[in-house]
Amino acid sequence: MKILLDNGLPVQAYSIVLYYEIIGGDSHRSRGAGEGRLDDREVFVPDKEKATRVDVIDRIWGFFTSLRLVIVLLLVLSLLSVAGTIIEQNKPLQEYYRLFRPETVEMFLKLGLLDMYHSWWFTSCLALLALNIIACTMERYPSIMKGLKTPNVVLDEKIEKGLKDPAKIKYHLPAETVEKRVADLVKKIFPARPVITETEDARHFFYEKGRYTRLSFLLTHLSILIIFIGAIVGSIFGFKGYVNINEGETVSTLQTRKGENKALNFGVRCNSFNADYYETGAPKDYRSDLSVIRDGKEVLRQTIRVNDPLTYEGITFYQSSFGALPDNVTFEIRGKNDASQSTVVAPVGKQVDIPGGGIRIEVADYREHFHFPDGSEAGTAIGVNIFRPDAEPEGVWIYEAHPERNSHFGYAFEVKGVKLRKFTGLQVNKDPGVWAVWTGCIMMVAGIMMAFFTSHKKLWIRIGKDRKGRVELTAGGMANKNKYAFSSETARLFDRFREVT
Amino acid sequence: MSNSLLFGISIFVYFFSMVLYVSYLAFRSEGLGKVATLTLLSGALVETAALLLRWYESYAMGIGRAPLTNLYESLVFFALTIAVFYLLMEWKFKIKTVGAFVTPFPFIIMAYASLNPNEIQPLVPALKSNWLIAHVVTCFVGYAAFAVSFGVSVLYLFKVKAENKPGGKRGVLQEYLPPSELLDEIGYKAIAIGFPLLTIGIITGAFWANVAWGTYWSWDPKETWSLIVWLIYAAYLHARITRGWRGEKAALLSILGFAATLFCYLGVNLILSGLHSYGGKS
Repeated sequence: MKILLDNGLPVQAYSIVLYYEIIGGDSHRSRGAGEGRLDDREVFVPDKEKATRVDVIDRIWGFFTSLRLVIVLLLVLSLLSVAGTIIEQNKPLQEYYRLFRPETVEMFLKLGLLDMYHSWWFTSCLALLALNIIACTMERYPSIMKGLKTPNVVLDEKIEKGLKDPAKIKYHLPAETVEKRVADLVKKIFPARPVITETEDARHFFYEKGRYTRLSFLLTHLSILIIFIGAIVGSIFGFKGYVNINEGETVSTLQTRKGENKALNFGVRCNSFNADYYETGAPKDYRSDLSVIRDGKEVLRQTIRVNDPLTYEGITFYQSSFGALPDNVTFEIRGKNDASQSTVVAPVGKQVDIPGGGIRIEVADYREHFHFPDGSEAGTAIGVNIFRPDAEPEGVWIYEAHPERNSHFGYAFEVKGVKLRKFTGLQVNKDPGVWAVWTGCIMMVAGIMMAFFTSHKKLWIRIGKDRKGRVELTAGGMANKNKYAFSSETARLFDRFREVT
Repeated sequence: MSNSLLFGISIFVYFFSMVLYVSYLAFRSEGLGKVATLTLLSGALVETAALLLRWYESYAMGIGRAPLTNLYESLVFFALTIAVFYLLMEWKFKIKTVGAFVTPFPFIIMAYASLNPNEIQPLVPALKSNWLIAHVVTCFVGYAAFAVSFGVSVLYLFKVKAENKPGGKRGVLQEYLPPSELLDEIGYKAIAIGFPLLTIGIITGAFWANVAWGTYWSWDPKETWSLIVWLIYAAYLHARITRGWRGEKAALLSILGFAATLFCYLGVNLILSGLHSYGGKS
């Protein structure tokens, strides 16, 4: 059974042509015999002398331009990447010790498996890929540039020989009429005007479309290099950091992920932070009202949200987290013996006297969801250091919801109120390489689209006279990809030429 | 909820279309084939209506968001894209017999989706972005293309194996399947469409991550697996275009690629942890 494709061609024939269809197959040595006949100016003919001279450079060059290297690298990179998703990366060391035996963790550390995407061996694979891309691009460059040059616009014998199924049609019409009718028919496929050349015995019309598609190889492959460059620039000249800003406070230094302190040329003030919730309790919106302060003056004010950061002088602030810390805690403290009662407001981190007792307290910690040693829920707990005369200071937990557990050193504590201060947590980022990355991405998409969906189509028409003096039209087309579809398209066009009367 | 009713109907319609495609393979009646195609088409239409209704309902609830944000919604969308992508391929290449190998996907995926919670939940702040639709749609149409390529590749291997059996007669069924060259070709064409879409999907995801978190690439398991999928199909395309790998080797790579795709889509969420919140762990 023969199945016909939409272009009316039997499948068997179709599949042979496919071998050579996309991205041109027009440079690699591994091509089968006979292919590439259509566009023989681009066939790669290995210089025999050069091929027999086996020196080191040739070998290295051969290694870097071989298809095997590409395939092996792509598959090795994917296999290595799998390892990195199985062993979670960049966790605190304690977690690995909890999950694995100490020897295993030591081994992972030695092999760089805990930060494998930045390990020397993973980076080397990426570098090898980059070299491979550079070598292949250099190897292909001449033939790409050749394809981009204006081809021969005259349909001479040499080109005619290379054409597949050229049409030869004779007319009993004046040459001008044929020219005009044919030009109208071609317009539907090639909207651009032809290059017209007059030779001794004929007029030549050269139509062309999609020459730029020859750039697709350069675009897709260079795009990867540009993305790599962007990533390198970002990691050398940029930084990633994190900062918490209390409401109403201004900061101008932050901590980078590498643990360094980074001073900014300006300050950032958090005017307010707000979180909205849906009725179900799910978070709806987190937003911080930020001001950029320069020389004591506000130069920019903007509300940031999770998908809407603030950028100033190349440094971007992203809404990342939030929280609240107590400003001060109000206790009601009762002495056990004398039943005296007093209310004490204790600012965080400052020692305050308890009236009439000679002891002092300091609020040192605050936990919203605390657990008792037996694991049960304790609610809010406040860590308090108690200073007694002639004794070492001692830390205790005071529970907001369990006053019965709050007796220490003869005093009963009760939490009367906690004044909280909200803070916003910002991811701070400077990445001067990000534009290279986006440029590379756009190039890649454009290149892939061009590679898969466009082809360089050429059409030659010659209108002259045959030996008997009749008007004779010769026409033929060529495409660098999807050749079969194009040749059926031209075949239909030539049929219409034949109908011209 | 009326959108779930429509989704329920579409499960049955997909089931019938699968049965029809399989019986078309067995009985080879043109009429049956037409009914099979029409059933699959109506399944896709009912599902599209269900998705649109769900979108509308979310507005009625005051949430107002595209129905593409959790495991349930991504599954039903995946089923729809496979159905539509297959219908387009069938229309272009006239390959009805392949349907029996592709239509089980929409049915199984929809049936699996129905086991997941399907309430319309409001969006968490990280998902509130214009990039959501571009990212999800390109990724899933790409996945659907890979699924079709997978189905065709399996059929290819099945057919070639039967053809090469020493001394074995060519079964009637064998004669009736599309020529293996055409299967090989469709497997490739589907990838040639899926690969650019996956590329755009990864890039829109990177761009979105950069806006939301300040890093375009953080080697999160989902990102890494999407890169793995991309690398496998990139290897496939290089092998095919420059060395002319086709037939069995190409079919095996396509199957490997789809296995990685499935893991990237479901495995990462159900087994590993990361930034893409839908799925088992959160």
